[in-house]
Parts: sequence; C-alpha cells; structure tokens
Amino acid sequence: MMRFLIVLLFPAICWAEPATVVRVTDLKKEPATDAATVTTLAENVAVDAQERKGGWVRVRAGAAEGWVRLLALRYGGTAQSGDSGARELFNAARTGSSGTQVTTGVRGLDEQMLANARPNPAELAKMSQFSSTADGAAAFAAQGHLQRRVVPEVK
Amino acid sequence: MIRLVAVFFLVVAVTPAQAQFNFNINKIIDSAKNLRSATHEISEPEEISIGNDVASRLLGAAPLAAEPRLQRYVNLVGRWVAAQTSRPGLPWRFGVLEAPQVNAFAVPGGTVFVTRGLVERMKSEAELAGVLAHEIVHVQQKHHLKAIQKGAQTALAGDALAYALKDARSTEARDKLLSLGTELYSRGLDKADEFEADRLGVVLAARAGYDGYGLPAVLQTLQAMNAQDSSLALMFKTHPAPGERLGALGEKMQPTLDAYAAQPQLVERFAAEAKSR
Repeated sequence: MMRFLIVLLFPAICWAEPATVVRVTDLKKEPATDAATVTTLAENVAVDAQERKGGWVRVRAGAAEGWVRLLALRYGGTAQSGDSGARELFNAARTGSSGTQVTTGVRGLDEQMLANARPNPAELAKMSQFSSTADGAAAFAAQGHLQRRVVPEVK
Repeated sequence: MIRLVAVFFLVVAVTPAQAQFNFNINKIIDSAKNLRSATHEISEPEEISIGNDVASRLLGAAPLAAEPRLQRYVNLVGRWVAAQTSRPGLPWRFGVLEAPQVNAFAVPGGTVFVTRGLVERMKSEAELAGVLAHEIVHVQQKHHLKAIQKGAQTALAGDALAYALKDARSTEARDKLLSLGTELYSRGLDKADEFEADRLGVVLAARAGYDGYGLPAVLQTLQAMNAQDSSLALMFKTHPAPGERLGALGEKMQPTLDAYAAQPQLVERFAAEAKSR
C-alpha cells in the first residue's frame, strides 16, 4: 500500500507542470548560482516545470533546458506577473468570501461556521491525547535524520 | 469596583458642582485605563486559558479528523519544530481538522490546527513542518493574543464607562474577549504579522533540520490553485496572496533558504504517515 502511494505521489513532484517566470531570470546549466548560464528568461515566459532540487526547479523553456530559482516561478498556466497578478488573486479571493456570494458548496470550516461555532470541550480533551512529549518528538526527529541547526533570525 | 460605581452615582446625584463631576469622570476613565494596561501583561497561564476557550470554539466549527495515526504524526512534527522556539515549554498540541477547506490556525498558548484540505495538498514532511512552523511563530510572537488585547482595548476605549464598571474577570467580559478572539480567525491578523510568520517559519523549519523550502513549496501549491476555489476563501481573505508572500520570502530569505535546502524533505515518511488512509 505504501509503495503504491509513493508511486502515486512522486509524479506530483516530478511531472512537468506549466509555470511562468515572474522576473528576468537566468536559466542555469546546473542548480547552482555559479553554474553556467544557458540563457536569460524574460519576465512572463511560460515554461514546463519538472523536478525540484533545493531552491532550484528544472524547466524546459522552448528548446532550452536548465534550472531556475523556485521563487522566480509561479505555477499555473496563466501569466500572472508580480504584483498585479497577486492583487488580482487577492481581490478575487476577497470577493469570493464577501458573504453575499454563496460559494460552490464546500462545507466545513468557513466564516459562517466559525461565527456560529459552539465550544466543543470533549473534542479539545480528545486532542490532548495525541500530543507528544519533547523527548518523543526528539526521538522521532532522529529517526528522520533531522538535526538541530543554529539558524539566525531574519527580521 | 462596586465602590467606584457608588461614588459615581453619589456624585452625580448629590453634588452638581461641575468641577467635582469632572474629577470623578476622570477617576473612572483612569480605572478603565488601568484595566487596559492590566490586559497588557496577560500571564502565561491566562494565555493558555484563553487559548483553551478559543480552541474549543474552533473545534466546534470543525472536529478532529478521526485518524489517530495522522493526529499523532502531526503532533510529533509540530512538537519537534516547537522545541526550536523561545517558548519550548508551552503545552504544545496540534490537530488536523476534518474540513475540506485549505487553512491553518494558531491559538494562543500553544495550540495549532491544520485542515485536512491543506494536508492533502502537501507533498512532504518538510512542507507540513513549514506550515506548522508558520503557525508556531504566531504563538511564539503572541500575534493573536496581542490582536485580541488590541480589540479589547478598542472596545474599552469606545465604551470606557460600561467596561470600567464591570469586573474584568466576569463571565460577560470573558465572553466578549472570546468572541473577539474567534472573530479574529475570520478577520485575520495584520499583514506584517503574516510576513513575519513566513520569515521566522522558514528559520524554525531549518532549525528543526528540515529543508526550509517546505513553506514556499506550499505557497506555490496554493498560488497554482484557482483563486475562485471556495475552499480557499477564508484563507485568502485572512492572508496576503501566496504570490505576494513568495515575493517577500524571495527578497529576504533567499540566503537562508539556500543554506539549508539540502536538509531532509522526508517525502516517504509523509506519504506513509499522512496519506495512508
């Protein structure tokens, strides 16, 4: 079952997905800043995004192939350049949740449910049963080869 | 407080002298100010108690997903990330809510929720850790607690007399505080708090040993979804657009993200533990 699920899951990461470059970006031969530049991609160029390696995504842009910065990509077919795209997205979301429009019938945790919610202390008590101890979490982290690092904050 | 009320009525009823009336009004407003400053330093036990009430209400809107294995897994990941904060000793607990919407919530005192709709769209443990880290930062920085206090202060300022004449610990005042708290999850925090939670969330996930790109990867997924999708409505209403958040992360976090990008993503463990139903 597990293997089946992994097989199902990997394509989601590896398969080509349409994406757009949101700023002028170098297409690199290897996933590294100091790698050779294949070409420079203009803003809004459509690419096919493939696998990700660290902060880099392998893409095909026309005939060219190489690696671009993950953060220079936005997934999805339509070109959404920087701010205007973001604003469009934001506004669309706002209109959709104005409360006067009935959305397409997803039930569960929406604004109205929140407003009408009654306390559920039984469920809260149940939740505490699943909590982990600090030691338990540390052992779990070690199993996954996760190592504590010193990483400075960025304000 | 009752004495204050008595003094107030006595003064109004018996002494018409304008000067004295003003004096006592000032005194009452002062006591309102005291109440406001008193709420300024909510103790940790009080924070936890407020959090319990708010968490209970959120669970009233959507119950926990009935999968003990998934719930335990999310608690292990969350507790490990929370251990890297400045508040490792809080009673941290994490829950997956049975809801198709895509969202996550932080509650004062160390309670964090993520919806099944969001977990289903994740691809790795690093992505889960990134989202939990964002919420954990809200708790560490007391973003919601401060917003609740600010709301309470505004209510006090707008209705100083009414509130000054009430015991801050009365049920009514507590209810008012609670509805302010719950309302916050429909209204959202300041944008600046969200951007801070993104930045520090990346830092926390990297401290916990994960590939810091987990959170940006989830934001990429959300950005690629149809903005009209109703399961995104509340999340998009209460957060800056994913594209905007990705832009902000790129501006400030690129060096941090790159420095820890080779850390584990744990795709297989996530698939086994979170996708096994």
